[in-house]
Amino acid sequence: MKNKIKIAVYSGSIPSTTFIERLILGLSNKGYQIYLFGYCKKKVKYNGSVKSIAYRNTKFYKSLHLLKYNLLLLLFKYKAKQKLDRILKSKSQNALIDKMKCYPVLWHKPNIFHVQWAKNIEYWSWVQEFDMKLVLSLRGAHINYSPIADPILAKMYHKCFPNVDRFHAVSKAIAKEATKYGAPPEKIEIVYSGLNLKSFKRIPEVKDLKFNIVSIGRSHWKKGYNYALDACSILKKRNIPFSYTIVGAEGYLELIYQIQDLGLQEDVVLLGSLPLDAIKKTLKSSSILLLPSVEEGVANVVLEAMASETLVLTTNCGGMEEVVQHEVNGFVCPIRDSNAIAEQIIKIIGLNDENKQQIVNQAKKTIENQHTESQMVSGMLDLYINVLKENNYE
Amino acid sequence: MSKKRIGIVLSAVPGYSETFFKNKIKGLQDNGFEVLLFVDQNQTKSTNLPCEVIIAPDFNVNLILKIIIIFKTFLKAIFISTKQSCLLYKLDKEDGISLKQRIKQLLLNQFLLSKKLDWLHFGFGMLAVNRENVAQAIGAKMAVSFRGFDLYLSPLKHKECYNLLFIKKVYYHVLSNQMKKILIERGVSEPMIIVIPPAVDVTYFQPNKLQLSNQQVEMVTIARLHWIKGLEYTLESLALLKKEGLDFKYTIIGDGEEFERLIFATHQLDIKEQVIFKGRITQAEVRKELQKANIYIQYSIQEGFCNATIEAQAMGLFCIVSDADGLSENVIDAKTGWVVPKRKPKLLAEKIKEVINLSEEKQQEMRIATINRIKKNFHIIQQQEDFVKFYL
Repeated sequence: MKNKIKIAVYSGSIPSTTFIERLILGLSNKGYQIYLFGYCKKKVKYNGSVKSIAYRNTKFYKSLHLLKYNLLLLLFKYKAKQKLDRILKSKSQNALIDKMKCYPVLWHKPNIFHVQWAKNIEYWSWVQEFDMKLVLSLRGAHINYSPIADPILAKMYHKCFPNVDRFHAVSKAIAKEATKYGAPPEKIEIVYSGLNLKSFKRIPEVKDLKFNIVSIGRSHWKKGYNYALDACSILKKRNIPFSYTIVGAEGYLELIYQIQDLGLQEDVVLLGSLPLDAIKKTLKSSSILLLPSVEEGVANVVLEAMASETLVLTTNCGGMEEVVQHEVNGFVCPIRDSNAIAEQIIKIIGLNDENKQQIVNQAKKTIENQHTESQMVSGMLDLYINVLKENNYE
Repeated sequence: MSKKRIGIVLSAVPGYSETFFKNKIKGLQDNGFEVLLFVDQNQTKSTNLPCEVIIAPDFNVNLILKIIIIFKTFLKAIFISTKQSCLLYKLDKEDGISLKQRIKQLLLNQFLLSKKLDWLHFGFGMLAVNRENVAQAIGAKMAVSFRGFDLYLSPLKHKECYNLLFIKKVYYHVLSNQMKKILIERGVSEPMIIVIPPAVDVTYFQPNKLQLSNQQVEMVTIARLHWIKGLEYTLESLALLKKEGLDFKYTIIGDGEEFERLIFATHQLDIKEQVIFKGRITQAEVRKELQKANIYIQYSIQEGFCNATIEAQAMGLFCIVSDADGLSENVIDAKTGWVVPKRKPKLLAEKIKEVINLSEEKQQEMRIATINRIKKNFHIIQQQEDFVKFYL
């Protein structure tokens, strides 16, 4: 069966985010034919099982892309093209740019069209008219807060979600949230993100007199760094020596101002984005990874920290408590509570080495049991195969 | 004697507070000044103002048009404002500005060189950057107003952006003593700085007759939805009050980039039913909202001074503000309102409770003190007189 199944993983751009790329790699290693559609941000060398149907983001390349697939459909799939044109027209989605995006999908006609971001679901609903199965990932902001702020988006979800063939939820919490917009619970499968544990080899710890706290993530309000900085101010007032590094928040004015305002210039550093290897080193040289977020699905950086045997302190946002159990394999504190973050850090500082080791050992076990790359890949494959079986795909 | 000519430089023709700006221009004109407004074209909304408006050429156009505009501007520099252009070029050179930047500044500032002025007044600090020698080149005195964001935040984003400005002979207008202190710390000499706080039209924002009672408390904030306004902390304090059983309604007037952040906070803090986002509304609607409310909250993280808080005080609302920058001069703690340390939602919640439980006598006493202080210190006539003194 696997040689015949064609799976499209659609995020809109190639390459996509780290965790989607991890999924693509894992699926292709299993020998399934993977299709990627979208615009080419950077050239990526995939293995032979991955077919990248990408266009460069210039008028010339887009025109060429459209011309090629327009011609192929005209010559070999004329009726299907006419049908698609009618659908796109009825949805007021028939500009050249839409055709340029949709024609290649119709031409290659994967069995599964897996949309990674919920906001795109209405756009791609037409694939079901051509016997492609529509799978949607439930991730982060697209489910957790965008529809709260945008009633039109919420309405669109209500309209589209009941028709999706299968949902992939990154956590139980986000699955529950999606049901509020009409996602049928029986169509949702939880598949946690996974890591390749071999790439998280032990790196010797760099001992430092200060307690080194690190957060890693893009500069965005949902990361809750303002609460972390308020917590730092509390630590400083209590004369607790620490350093705090936020990787990915360089140039973020709100934080720059807060650091200055709270007199934390000597204690806090904002860094730009780092490559994965540098992140692994940073994690290893840190006393804890702090995730002060107000919203997350399951933060991959927490999984990476646990795999790297770095202590984790997270808020109880989104699906984080499905991974981190307080004082078992890490530490959990409430969202939007800088006092709680500070108190928890003080407690962690007070732990002896044996306690810390027990917790990091337990964290590593959690990753081994619940978040390996092979678990993620087989979980996703089961999801795809179940959808196809239900629809009598031979 | 000919009229003194003041050129005011803004990024755009004021839209939202146009009435206020018109009054300011009129005040100067009534006192014998001629006012000219210089703005950037690409942000212009309307030019319905009682003064001449000079619009900068738009260089953000296609290549062919850009070449034509550059050529025309260059001709102006050579044949029309020859003397001023030569002087600007020379002064920029003396300041060690690179040749490329000198030519760029000469072209971009050409529209400022076209008029003979007594004063060239930049409405915001950042508008004076890369224009430090323009006033001298046209033989005018130079003034710069700092409003808050441009003093507290712009230097964090554009490191050392005011280094050249602060060594020039410039008269500064700031909104608060706190801002004056910062300028002095940065090397500006004290006599060059004047504090003129914002003013309110007390005939428009008249006191209402509301009184706090045990019924639903109506609170309001006027602010754009931006992190500097501390609205997330405000919502957290309101969530604490809801948990304690307080019946309230909170209206936020203003729009901005952080709507998603704030509406998500109301959802997560379970106060979605209590919080209303009004968006941007007209001045008449603002007044109506203030008339309905009991308490005005301005729990900002950074604030130059805050006009809205003055308007709320003029209407006799109980104002609770943070101690951010100019706010503690705007409201006198425990006399005309309350000042709470910023970033402390628990303290804000405590203060709101305290205010709600004030005795009727105390409420009345505070209201009278607040309204009188605004009438005395923040009257628009007073502000006009201060500006006239500034330019004389």
